[in-house]
Amino acid sequence: MGVIHNDEMVLNIGPQHPSTHGVLRLKVKTDGEIVSDIQPVIGYLHRCFEKHCENLPYEQIIPFVDRCDYIASMNNGFGYVTTVEELMGIQVPERVEYIRIIMAELNRIASHLLALGTFGLDVGAFTPFLYMFRDRERILDLFEITCGARLLYNYMWIGGLSHDLPVGFVESAYEFLDYFEPQLKEYHDLLAYNKIFIERTGDVGVLPPEVAVSYGVTGPNLRGSGVKWDLRKNEPYSIYDRFEFDVPVGEGEMGTVGDCWDRYWVRALEMAQSVKIVRQALDQLPNDGNVHESLPKKVRPPKGSIYQRTETPRGDLGFYIISDGSNVPLRVKMRSPAFTALSVLNEIASGWMLSDILVILGSLDIVLGEIDR
Amino acid sequence: MSKYIVNIWQSVSTLLIGMGITIRHLIRIRKGNVTLQYPKEKWPQPQRKIGFDPKVYNIIRSKLHVDIDDCIGCLKCVRACPVDCITIETLKVPKGTDIGMTSNNTTKRLLVKRFDIDMSECLYCNLCVYPCPEECIYMTGGPNSEKKTIDYEFSKYDRSELLFTFAKITEKEIAELTAEPNELPHADEPGGEA
Amino acid sequence: MTVDALIRWFQSWTASGGNITFLLILSVILLALPVFLIMAVNALVAVYAERKLSAFMQDRVGPMGQGPGFHAGKWGIFQTVADAIKLLLKEDIIPEAADRKLFILAPYVMFLGAFIALAAVPFNQKLLVADMNIGIFYIVAVGSLSVLGILLAGWASNNKWSLYGAMRSAAQIVSYEIPAALSIIAVILLTGTLSMQGIVQSQAGVIWGFLPNWAVFNNPFTFLAFFIYFISSVAEVNRTPFDIPEAESELVAGFHTEYSGLRWAFFFLSEYANMLVVSAVAVVVFLGGWQSPIAGVMTSAWWGLFWFLGKVTIVILIMIWFRWTFPRLRVDQLMNVCWKVLLPIALLNIFGTGLWSLFIG
Repeated sequence: MGVIHNDEMVLNIGPQHPSTHGVLRLKVKTDGEIVSDIQPVIGYLHRCFEKHCENLPYEQIIPFVDRCDYIASMNNGFGYVTTVEELMGIQVPERVEYIRIIMAELNRIASHLLALGTFGLDVGAFTPFLYMFRDRERILDLFEITCGARLLYNYMWIGGLSHDLPVGFVESAYEFLDYFEPQLKEYHDLLAYNKIFIERTGDVGVLPPEVAVSYGVTGPNLRGSGVKWDLRKNEPYSIYDRFEFDVPVGEGEMGTVGDCWDRYWVRALEMAQSVKIVRQALDQLPNDGNVHESLPKKVRPPKGSIYQRTETPRGDLGFYIISDGSNVPLRVKMRSPAFTALSVLNEIASGWMLSDILVILGSLDIVLGEIDR
Repeated sequence: MSKYIVNIWQSVSTLLIGMGITIRHLIRIRKGNVTLQYPKEKWPQPQRKIGFDPKVYNIIRSKLHVDIDDCIGCLKCVRACPVDCITIETLKVPKGTDIGMTSNNTTKRLLVKRFDIDMSECLYCNLCVYPCPEECIYMTGGPNSEKKTIDYEFSKYDRSELLFTFAKITEKEIAELTAEPNELPHADEPGGEA
Repeated sequence: MTVDALIRWFQSWTASGGNITFLLILSVILLALPVFLIMAVNALVAVYAERKLSAFMQDRVGPMGQGPGFHAGKWGIFQTVADAIKLLLKEDIIPEAADRKLFILAPYVMFLGAFIALAAVPFNQKLLVADMNIGIFYIVAVGSLSVLGILLAGWASNNKWSLYGAMRSAAQIVSYEIPAALSIIAVILLTGTLSMQGIVQSQAGVIWGFLPNWAVFNNPFTFLAFFIYFISSVAEVNRTPFDIPEAESELVAGFHTEYSGLRWAFFFLSEYANMLVVSAVAVVVFLGGWQSPIAGVMTSAWWGLFWFLGKVTIVILIMIWFRWTFPRLRVDQLMNVCWKVLLPIALLNIFGTGLWSLFIG
């Protein structure tokens, strides 16, 4: 007599799987289509970032910081250099501040475009993905004329920038913004308001605000749960207090507050807000000022430690730096927003179907480079 | 029941809107089309002029290049490199031996016996370029972009082929230049470090 | 040209009438070859069209490398030919842990379903392999044979993803057969015949003064039935938004994850052949088959072929259009759509069509 097995099946999603957004492995216990337990296995992209930092002078860490969250390198570099500048007490020129904000917000748009596009891909819509990549490409072109690199810029320097804006950048940026704003509506019509998309994402993977806060989830994922927390507004760093923008939060328009659709929608609205910020920054950009003016001769922060966080497209990126007075940091700790976002996966995704797991994973917008470091 | 009907209506209408968008893109073929037929068409490379000498410096970061005639062996680029992909070995010459001048009119004091850059390790951060006092190391498209073409496509079949050696000096020349008048000419082992 | 006709033609050649078994086999083979050819050409053309159209919808250019033209093939016309050659030359891998016999068998079973269904499709007034008096019933019946192939493939691959794909596919195809068949019944109520040629012939003429008398225009219920059939047929051939058996972002490649080379090509071929079959049924049952859109004009056999293929092409293009616009449904939502939306409406349709033909039509 044969025995009918009705145990749970353990399924390995990844590390090579079309929609794990990198090299993530999920150990998933399934009962038919229903998933009862998810264990993310991370570390496939581990590059000893923090240990590496202990052996490198401060300015040489910047390329490695870029490589943590390779989708939003500008924002990462921004976070790191402001932390070191705070530690050293450097005041950077106005123009540098504005250029940094322009770059960070443009990169935020690019990062959200990638996040939303791949999210659409997880749900099964191919076309919005390519539209978004087409527009992301234009942002990367702007970066390329600015600093010569398309993805890993090494643009933000401690006390300045590697290059000043090229001639014609401002015009190209305005041109891009004018082109981009109408595109947003097309994305919404094609994907966000699509009934199938709403069915797949509305009410799915609800992340209640309490759970989000207790897990330390930040960024669009937290705002998707209805918590109005944005470091650019709540703890303005750099010159974010000079700009007018809203902090969009999830309102449960297509289901419950904190579902996948809300997370999608918050990102979509944030792109519009970033466009607004870039416009204001371009308007106010001072024409004079040398971006190399306040570069320190030697980066030797005084003894002490500092923790500072900035808002990247994925959430609060914190840097804890201990300096022993030499040109090499004693310790650099990076607080990764994507890591906390991934850690909440089991909480919100167990009990859903196999197809939903990947949708929820896509809605959290993780970057494995930052999680594994 | 009304919810049921509304649901069906919403599905049909939103799906039709989506189909309208894709068919609009289908009809205006080639407008807003961004694909390039890569080997035949190439994206225009930004010809931005900025940097040390605004007339000739190009923004592109493609491949590291060294004008070895201008190198004085100061090792500043080696120290700046976060991944240690540059290896330089220098050799002292006896006092009074003339080994030339750089294009910046600096007298060279060290023989650059070995100048290797492992482009498979390079992370294109450009950090080695800034400290160079003679502006002789640069990403192609750098200070002497007129002389060197911008080279994005230096893929190789073997990893070892990405090790670029720039030092041109031969062992015989080393022997001649380092020879003390009353000593036997002796040459160091070529490529001392493995 | 049917098998019967071919046998009779052969018999008229020989005085004694010949060996009937031999003649049967000969004429079946003679007719099977063009059917296979149609399938192959359909796959080549449809894949090219799909790639090109999807590219244009996504602001890309699609395949440009192969074929004649300005710079090594301006339009990549021979891309699918090159793909086919590549697939033929590829290494054939059978996983160690797979059930070897079933693994080898599966693609052919799936292929068979589409292949024998094409036998009853009337391409024009004369061109069909077998004019059965139960033609449409036959197609609906053998059309579900493909699910057997998918199940075999999923099980034999000994891969969890394949198994998921196969199980999903079985549930999906079996469910969607029902609304598809029910919406066909609505038309059969009007035509009163199950023969494919009979259904087409009953759609001759003009209705409502100007429209061709196709079943889709006959009354509001058949109009609705057409859409139900179309949606169900999209689901039956596993295409987006119902492509959950091979959902790329979830199941890697679904039931054919472990297949490569020629066997994979057979899956591909039968997928597109299935598309052809369901579109042909949609055209025959609802869109007047080989009837001309303007009644009484251009009605020769050649024009019949043209109209038939034209209509089939349009239906396939709409399927392609669907695929590159919509996201994918989830398994339970897929079943909801089938059992809670399509099935009740299809049942009401039959009722409505009956009333219509009783009192109005």
